[in-house]
Amino acid sequence: MKKTHVALLVLVVVAISVISATFLDFSTYETFGSASKEPGKSFHVIGFFDKAKGIQYDAKTDPNQFTFYAKDKSGAMTKVVFTNGAPPRDIDKSEQLVMKGYVKGDVFYCSGIQMKCPSKYKKDMVVGEKV
Amino acid sequence: MAAEFIGEHLLPGQIGYFCVILSFVAALFSSFCYLRAVNTEQTDPVNSQSWLTMARWGFGTHTIGIISIFISLYYVIANHLFEYHYAWSHSSYDLPVKYLLSCFWEGQEGSFMLWMFWHSILGLVVMRTAKSFETRTMSIIAMMQVILGTMLLGLYIGQDIKIGSTPFLLLRHAMQGAPIFSMPNYMTFVKDGNGLNVSLQNYWMVIHPPVLFLGFALSLIPFAYCIAALWKGDYKTFIKPTIAWSLIGGAVLGTGIMMGGRWAYESLNFGGYWAWDPVENASLVPWLTLVAGLHTLIVYKSTGRALTITIIFLLLTHLLVWYSTFLTRTGILGKTSVHAFTGDGQALYYHLLIVIGFLLLLSVALLAIRWKSLPKIKTEEATLSREFWMFIGSAVIFISAVMIIFSTSQPVWAPLYKLIKKKDLAPPIDVIKHYNDTQVWIAIVIGFLAGITMYMKYKNTEAKKLWKHLAIVAVLSGVLALAIALGQHITTWQYCFMLYSACFSIVGSIAYGISIQKGKFKNLGPVTAHLGFALVLLGILLSSYNKHAISFNSMGVRFGFDKGSEEKNIAENRENELLSLGRKVAMGDYYATYIGDSSVPGKDKRVYYKVKFQKIDSTTKKVKEEFMLYPDAFINPKGNESGLSANPDTKHYLTEDIYTFISSATDKGKSDTSTYRSHIAQKPGDTIYLNEGFMIFNGFSKDVQDKRYQPSDGDIAVTAKLTVYDKFGAAHELAPIYIVKNKEYVSYIEDTVRDMDLYTRLGNIIVKSQDSAYAEIMVRQTNPLDDFIVLKALVFPYINTLWAGVIIMVFGFFISLGKLLARRHKNSPADPVLAYDNGDELPE
Repeated sequence: MKKTHVALLVLVVVAISVISATFLDFSTYETFGSASKEPGKSFHVIGFFDKAKGIQYDAKTDPNQFTFYAKDKSGAMTKVVFTNGAPPRDIDKSEQLVMKGYVKGDVFYCSGIQMKCPSKYKKDMVVGEKV
Repeated sequence: MAAEFIGEHLLPGQIGYFCVILSFVAALFSSFCYLRAVNTEQTDPVNSQSWLTMARWGFGTHTIGIISIFISLYYVIANHLFEYHYAWSHSSYDLPVKYLLSCFWEGQEGSFMLWMFWHSILGLVVMRTAKSFETRTMSIIAMMQVILGTMLLGLYIGQDIKIGSTPFLLLRHAMQGAPIFSMPNYMTFVKDGNGLNVSLQNYWMVIHPPVLFLGFALSLIPFAYCIAALWKGDYKTFIKPTIAWSLIGGAVLGTGIMMGGRWAYESLNFGGYWAWDPVENASLVPWLTLVAGLHTLIVYKSTGRALTITIIFLLLTHLLVWYSTFLTRTGILGKTSVHAFTGDGQALYYHLLIVIGFLLLLSVALLAIRWKSLPKIKTEEATLSREFWMFIGSAVIFISAVMIIFSTSQPVWAPLYKLIKKKDLAPPIDVIKHYNDTQVWIAIVIGFLAGITMYMKYKNTEAKKLWKHLAIVAVLSGVLALAIALGQHITTWQYCFMLYSACFSIVGSIAYGISIQKGKFKNLGPVTAHLGFALVLLGILLSSYNKHAISFNSMGVRFGFDKGSEEKNIAENRENELLSLGRKVAMGDYYATYIGDSSVPGKDKRVYYKVKFQKIDSTTKKVKEEFMLYPDAFINPKGNESGLSANPDTKHYLTEDIYTFISSATDKGKSDTSTYRSHIAQKPGDTIYLNEGFMIFNGFSKDVQDKRYQPSDGDIAVTAKLTVYDKFGAAHELAPIYIVKNKEYVSYIEDTVRDMDLYTRLGNIIVKSQDSAYAEIMVRQTNPLDDFIVLKALVFPYINTLWAGVIIMVFGFFISLGKLLARRHKNSPADPVLAYDNGDELPE
């Protein structure tokens, strides 16, 4: 075998092993129920903002936190505490939320939200990505 | 049909759509003629020449068509012709003229147009310069224009299949069935457009997409040359133009990508210039493969090796541009991207899949047919040869591209995973960490290779000399890296490696340029590009590793490193700070004070917040430094929304940036709940206490000097003379006016101190005796605790290293290009040396 072929082979093996090692980084989509089976571990949960209960945000007590209620795909309603900043624009008008976070007790602690907005012409929005 | 509706302007759309068809047909014609010219080249040169002439005319017509589409659409947008769906959905009356161009790239049709526009301009250049390769390259380019042209057709086949979408679609056709369009005068109800997304209303957004799309378009030319080389079986002539076009492509695409980063940094509030967002990744990956291809192409030019891999890299680059279009435009990334465009439905999805499949098939088939006849060199290269390590470096860059595209494509392959494992896979929780963890190793390897390989010669290198050079570089860069690591407190070991690698590359490039190339400018292209790239690596490391929030006194999240548990990770993210009006808050080395905003109710939706930063000497307590930042936000941008859309403001120092943006603010339009309070001043000299200051009543005056007051007969006008002292001790004179008109009714003219948000009104004059009267002073002042902003302030140390690195790298590409083109003028086709001073002859 040529030297270049050996080198390439080594590189490919390294690349594959790195990709497999970081494969564990990928999270899964869960419901509040299935996420609560592993409290403290972060998952993605797809849910819907509860318009009736609204957002509780008081910048004076804590500018980094707000709470709302969301229903997941199985229909379970859970209190969500967002711990990463102020409420994003239009969260109350969103069609769907993808929330990153973990369950502890009865509460879903959320560190990132991506919203699907009703208007076809508005781009999806993300908040609370770590910077 | 047109007669049914009133107030429509159908002509620009008809002209525009005619040009869509014209440019499509012309491209088809041109492609066909070029193909005929190729086929008759050998057998019938005379005929081939006339096919060629027709093909050129065809392509010229095509270009004129494309430009006319552009003008027509610009006319529609600039004149706010909202009967057109495109204008209605992407612009509005209040959109400043300078952002009209941004409307083009907000929509899908406009982006494809921009892409086609650049292809056609580049096509004209190729037409004039490609010589013996013209017929083949141009038939590919014209064919690509046909493919892109289908994206604008907006044709229906039967009920369900739609091919492309035209930018000249009428609103009433886009929303068929909506009851408003049954009225002939529906235009009178379409008052305004939907407007441009506020995050695109930024000057970087005016220039960044054209540059980025030019970069994407440039990937077509090396693609076309590679196809043409395979087609013709000529693997020599294509080298020079392909290197030239790859250099331009690398420079422009690199610039475009970093302009996007700069835009994100300056106008988006995701807190940085790079977030490993799928849209960013999708444009980075073709750049990586292009750079890999450029390096192997130089190896091929100098040694005759690595032709096959070069062709694969360069073909792949253009395919990846199409793939990135697929990722970002079809909505497939939906759940994972900040700015993936919402999908335009299934039509585009399959359309792009077909295109990618076709191009892939074309590339693979051609390569397979020619595989055996591609020139290859049987012997092995020496271990200490430049070509061997350039090849390894290119392979590493390619692996980086594969890793990034694999993770970015997660939504594409997740359904497959679900089929096998029955699990719904999501993107990583910490996306940035996911990419950083792998790419840091690539950066380390590339940094070292870029530094080392320059010192090697093609074929073989004298080992002793090489080690001597490298040892000097290793020691010098070790000292530099150590100094930086200690100064910047870089302790994580893999990032220490990255630092050393970047320093190695910087020192290596500079030393090579000075000691071996003796600073000869025309030879400095590769060295300069490598130096720039190494500075980019260093800039990324310095600005991101020690990026920290000062709005919360923590060291922030370093590079998205895991802190052990989710709770801790999240605690680190508490980076927002509440700033009440006028209250000084400590932020890192500074004190920040929110001292008011620019809002005028009902006037401008964009509100600037004035935040004063002061650095105070700890011993003398004197203000050492003071500056203002004006982060702004669109409060309630479309009238019916909640929340705000913020734009950061940044204080740039040579060594660091202080970057601030608003996370939340009081909506004055809604929450102006403060009411007038009554105060009675009994005699001149009485004091009324205010929030953060006080006011002294100086008596009445009948001498009314106020532009707002027009005296008329029978009026009695009296002012109360007031002096307001704010908390800084400054005095403001106020004179609210009390007017009795015709002895019948009372009116008031108020007076204000805007900085204090103070409104005063002379509410009543209570006559007590012949020469004494009380004044009822009505005072309205927003409670400073009710007027607040929530601010996030981040520090990016040494971020200028990054921007400087990008500029230097791009400059390096152009030095190389300059040298290449200068040689072309000298007319020395056999000269194989690109920008290297020690290349060898290309084997025959």
